[in-house]
Amino acid sequence: MRVRHGEVLLATGFLGIMTTLFLALKWAPSVSIDAFASPAAQRIFYWHVPSAWAAFIAFSVLFVGSALWVFKRSPTGWRLHVAGSEASLACGLMAVWSGCVWGAAEWGTPWDWSDVRLNTFGLLTLLALFLVLGRQSQPDGIESRDTFSTFGLYGFVLVPITYIATRIWQIRHPGPVIGGGEDSSLSSDMGLVLLLGAISFTILIAGHMVMSARITEYEQRLERLQNKVDGRI
Amino acid sequence: MADTLLELDGVSIRRGIDIVLSDFSLSLVEGQCIILHGENGLGKSTVIEAAARLLPMEKGEVRHHKSMVHDSEGRRKSPKFPFGLTLQSNGLVPSQTIQQHLETVCSISQMECDLTPILESYGLAHRRHDKIAHLSGGQQRKVSVISGLIPGMLSKKPRLILLDEPDSGLDDASIEILKTHLNQLRSAGHGILIATHNERLFDCATSLHDLNEESKREPESCEPWEKIGKKAESSFLSTKMGWKYNASTLISIQRNWLASLLVVGTLLALVEPLSISDQEVLIMGFVLAPAFTMGLVGDSVTSMLQEQRAIDWWRAQVQSIPNSNIESFLSGCILTTFSIQVFLQTFDWRIVLIGGLVGFATTFCLRFLQLSTLRLARTNAVFIRLLTPILILPWAMVVEFCITL
Repeated sequence: MRVRHGEVLLATGFLGIMTTLFLALKWAPSVSIDAFASPAAQRIFYWHVPSAWAAFIAFSVLFVGSALWVFKRSPTGWRLHVAGSEASLACGLMAVWSGCVWGAAEWGTPWDWSDVRLNTFGLLTLLALFLVLGRQSQPDGIESRDTFSTFGLYGFVLVPITYIATRIWQIRHPGPVIGGGEDSSLSSDMGLVLLLGAISFTILIAGHMVMSARITEYEQRLERLQNKVDGRI
Repeated sequence: MADTLLELDGVSIRRGIDIVLSDFSLSLVEGQCIILHGENGLGKSTVIEAAARLLPMEKGEVRHHKSMVHDSEGRRKSPKFPFGLTLQSNGLVPSQTIQQHLETVCSISQMECDLTPILESYGLAHRRHDKIAHLSGGQQRKVSVISGLIPGMLSKKPRLILLDEPDSGLDDASIEILKTHLNQLRSAGHGILIATHNERLFDCATSLHDLNEESKREPESCEPWEKIGKKAESSFLSTKMGWKYNASTLISIQRNWLASLLVVGTLLALVEPLSISDQEVLIMGFVLAPAFTMGLVGDSVTSMLQEQRAIDWWRAQVQSIPNSNIESFLSGCILTTFSIQVFLQTFDWRIVLIGGLVGFATTFCLRFLQLSTLRLARTNAVFIRLLTPILILPWAMVVEFCITL
């Protein structure tokens, strides 16, 4: 029986995420009431940060796929674009949604239009939504692939801006918890749960991308067969 | 030796998922009439549209009068001389009259003429002041065909004429008139490239091309066409046409202004301006919201041009298509003047000017987004406006800046 790598990765990632959630709610240490206005809501951190991390990976795959299509007309590049845009949307929405819930509890507001990181990440998620919905509304062809790949290529400029935003403009969103200098540090238990979450989300989107690429390949084969029946090739 | 008016040099084009043209070359000289014929899907329209600079190319180059106008690197240059173009989808602006549209075509050729004889020959003289939208399909097609022929009719110098299925929708009498005009224009030295299935037009051809090989033939001889144009310089045509389209249809009032005024009305329904006079950020946001909203609706002229592929007809002819640049700035100023009176009961020319710039910049960004999806098959179905939130942060920064004034 053929090993379905995508499904295995998805299942493993899902299992890891469920384990992360369980540990976050039941095992991870609580935080000080002096450091957080809503210490209980802080546990969203174990979902929010890994999903944002996974979103960055997905946006990078989207960028690579878009570049391969635009510059090389590579069918593999287009499959990566499709997979990357879907994974970006899923992880982006998870990060934005969890961030809004946490923000409402911690800051008293779910969103801050003046915060650079919030807005650039929100825009990246909207870009992913545009790419997924837009592609579904158009017939597959060079015109739609060129258009959407161009957006995927240039939209990536927001990723480094989002990443360094809290290092340069600390407005509302807190700074990095890992590698952010002396003020950023995690206890080992918190770090363990966070690491498990990051690995699980990474495996999950890897599985999604493998399956998505396979589906896109089948769609392209079906299109070729249909064209053959139409008598076009 | 006859000058070359059009060259397609090693052109390869993909459409949809197919390669429609592969390493295709064609040359059209003065006094030639090449007819592209063959079954559907062969690439006849693709050749016409590639020659008109409308399609991106994988390889090759297109030249008009020996100057590059479009190549596979994406470079597009204005043709040195005007050329005639009739697209399959007409390329007309429905809210214009026949007279207005044909005068626009003459302006692009930097000429003017008495259009009566041409209109009479196609049986349209009595309808010259009617809007194109009110014409039948056949009449609209006649207007589109005349638009394609006019650059050749106006000028003594050889012009390139591109016609995609010009006979489609025409009655027998009009096809005979068209044949006569084609023969006359060819005899006058103009170069004509036609894509058609209609074998009646083959009589006008100096060669027939089925996209694989070209076969020469002897066309009917004819008296050459006597040019009817006089020089009439016109500058800033795209800007003027954008203004005219707006003025004649009031489309910006319908779409952009209405949205802005609804925003002001909604805000007034919820808030008493005097009760929040101490909240500077909020008040200034209310003052600049109408100009921002007006811009977010988008460029109404660009939306209007998407009917019947008029936008493609304009893209072929000029580098910059008609737009609402002036109108968006003025509208921004007017709407900001109105909102500053409503919310601040004062007047500050600096804020009015900034409101104008907000309106202009937002419209410009929306037009950029609209034009970036032109190649898609269903431009109205793509959710391009999902990307407009990118404009919220810059607008908020402008609001904060205005408070400091």
